[in-house]
Amino acid sequence: MKLTTTFAAGALCAAALAPIMPASAHHSTAMFEWGKEQTLSGTIERYEWTQPHTFVWIMVPKGQGGETQEWGLEGMSPSWLGRRGWSLHTLHPGDKVAIVYYPLKDGRPGGFYVRVTMPDGKEMEALPRRAPASAPQGR
Amino acid sequence: MIRPVLVLAASATCIAAVLSGSAQAASAAAPEDAAARAHAYDALAKLPDWSGVWDPTFSPGQRPPAQPKLTPPYAAQYAKYLQANRTTPGLNFVSAVSSCVPPGVPMSMQQPYPIEFLFTPGRVTILIETDHIIRRIYTDGSAPPADPDPSYQGTSVGHWEGDTLVVETSAILPETSPLMGINGHSDKLHVTERIHLASPDILEITTTRTDPAVFLEPYTTTASYKRHRDWKIMEYVCEQNNHDALDRNGNAAFSLEHKPGEKQ
Repeated sequence: MKLTTTFAAGALCAAALAPIMPASAHHSTAMFEWGKEQTLSGTIERYEWTQPHTFVWIMVPKGQGGETQEWGLEGMSPSWLGRRGWSLHTLHPGDKVAIVYYPLKDGRPGGFYVRVTMPDGKEMEALPRRAPASAPQGR
Repeated sequence: MIRPVLVLAASATCIAAVLSGSAQAASAAAPEDAAARAHAYDALAKLPDWSGVWDPTFSPGQRPPAQPKLTPPYAAQYAKYLQANRTTPGLNFVSAVSSCVPPGVPMSMQQPYPIEFLFTPGRVTILIETDHIIRRIYTDGSAPPADPDPSYQGTSVGHWEGDTLVVETSAILPETSPLMGINGHSDKLHVTERIHLASPDILEITTTRTDPAVFLEPYTTTASYKRHRDWKIMEYVCEQNNHDALDRNGNAAFSLEHKPGEKQ
């Protein structure tokens, strides 16, 4: 019960907050439409648990003919995600997931992943939900 | 045929003499050195406890730092950055760090990944997870070298003022960033860091930058780090899978190329 209450309160707080600022990133976010949430669903091709960023390669259905297109989504680093409940075993090839992401500005099939709805319906956050007032800003 | 034998014999005698001499010297000096070493290590126990891993992404809600007062060329660069922050959500500072060039002092201390401290006699070593950066701070009272080669982390000496470590760093490579929003500085950049425990598990670092080419007056910021005794520093090889190297014009970019050896 306590856990559920905490989650509900967290969701409410999160909803009230402005788009997330990257307290942690390896680089400028100029190539993404930062804060503009889009959703895609597909099948995980590969999850790269690497520095300076994790990377999701996912096959996404395209059109009605059963064709798929590969998308590449960058995410926070193992240094950040690994200390917040993620691991290299969080996503597996073949997993069917829905991913909220910030798209690339230039329209290529890529972006930055924000949260993932796992095959069991559980949601995994992949970005800080709110920006600390004076966060040290990195790459 | 005689001469080589003589030379060999003489050499053997010399080697034997040298070996026995150094063995005597070692055995004679060992107890004294061991006592001095033990004393130097015992003295470390009197230093404040900075053990554990320190997370800089924690903030106790400090006020934002004052705006820096900058010389015209750097003021123009900084204004452009602030303008981008007003119009574009996200992180708008573009630097070579995106291309896996390490940050220099003081930005290396403000990366979003943790740091740790090692105390050994005459030295404090800071290990930064980002890029495996190592900062060697000599606290043995020696003067900094007269004409050091510039480097990313510069040349650091430090001393203790009570429980505060004061670190003085210079000879920092001029192409590094002295402040979020500014790329480059002169070879006169000098950074003073005052590091102390603000509370049992919060480390506070006050950083002052002086460089007449960039700052009209010394510019000081304060950052807090939260202790995690159970964290371990991870490996961080930026070249492992970097999709964010700057393009040839130095602008932010994003590659959808696979890593070498992977399916295209």
